[in-house]
Amino acid sequence: MTGPVVASQEMGLVLAVVLGFFFGLFLERGGLGNPHKLTGVFFLTDFVVPKVMFTAILVASVGFYLVSDLKLLDLNRVWIVPTFFWPQIAGGALFGIGFVVSGYCPGTAVAGLASGRLDALVTMIGIGIGSLIFAVVYPVLEDFYQSSPMGAATIPGITGVSHWVVLAVLFIIAGLMFFLMEHFGRKAA
Amino acid sequence: MAKNNFWSPYIAGAGLGLTLLATFYLAGWGLGASSAFSLLASLGVKEIHPDFALQLTYFSQYLHVESPLRNWVLFEVCGLFLGAFSAALFSGNFRFQFDRGSGMGRVTRLIAAVSGGIMIGFASRLARGCTSGVALSGGAQLAIGGWIFVIAMFVSGFAVAALFRRLWT
Repeated sequence: MTGPVVASQEMGLVLAVVLGFFFGLFLERGGLGNPHKLTGVFFLTDFVVPKVMFTAILVASVGFYLVSDLKLLDLNRVWIVPTFFWPQIAGGALFGIGFVVSGYCPGTAVAGLASGRLDALVTMIGIGIGSLIFAVVYPVLEDFYQSSPMGAATIPGITGVSHWVVLAVLFIIAGLMFFLMEHFGRKAA
Repeated sequence: MAKNNFWSPYIAGAGLGLTLLATFYLAGWGLGASSAFSLLASLGVKEIHPDFALQLTYFSQYLHVESPLRNWVLFEVCGLFLGAFSAALFSGNFRFQFDRGSGMGRVTRLIAAVSGGIMIGFASRLARGCTSGVALSGGAQLAIGGWIFVIAMFVSGFAVAALFRRLWT
């Protein structure tokens, strides 16, 4: 059957809980509910965040382009993450600071609370406050927020290179990174 | 401190990747997290001060819908909680605690947790998502936005790490 397959809102919401369940399970089992492990990468003591993250991206990416090449997924009906160049650079940069300071990101804070960490609940409240602050200053920020739009731009789309070539390059970079992390990780431990 | 009974990060990462792939195939979009917090913040403000909430144009996307709580990402985040809770419980990893770095007092941890959270919440709105919705989902789609977010996040995290080293190590 060609995806996406969700037909009704009810079915979608049931699916959301099921997919979220596995999302949370793998986050917790990977150690991503633990702020010490989450911040480790920035102090070069624990590389679990990039290992889990880049493995997940590569697995999902290969599958995503494979099912679309096999015409099992209709990309015209898939919502591609939109690019707004400078807002996402600025957002990513501020996000990195918040990540180091709090020890969490939104999804991992939920996983942290689910493993009994009350500090994660405090971070979750902070995330709500931060969203509210954004909504309050939005009229001032709107021009910047809407600036440098690139739509559904992808690396293969922009460069004109086949997505399999892009993925091959990413595999080589990730493989090299994983090798270095294993090497450094053993030294740090 | 953590008991070290976690899975290999490559196994957990592969499982996470397959979950994300299933989400693309079944739902037609990726996983998310931060917008659930934004939605709940908008509903909270609406409870406390309805007039003020209606003035906030950014929140109208959540408030001007028929039933705001029937939201895909909110349901997904509830599932995330249940999944992580089950995993922590069955692996003996669940423990009530106020987790902090060894050099961090309780008050410092409270301030760090809330101020870091505020930055994350604000940054996620500016970037149109977080590590889930932009970095993982966009990264896997090879979207430009996903990769510039990931790069900016790690560059900035490493740049300020020295300032906050005493918090966590």
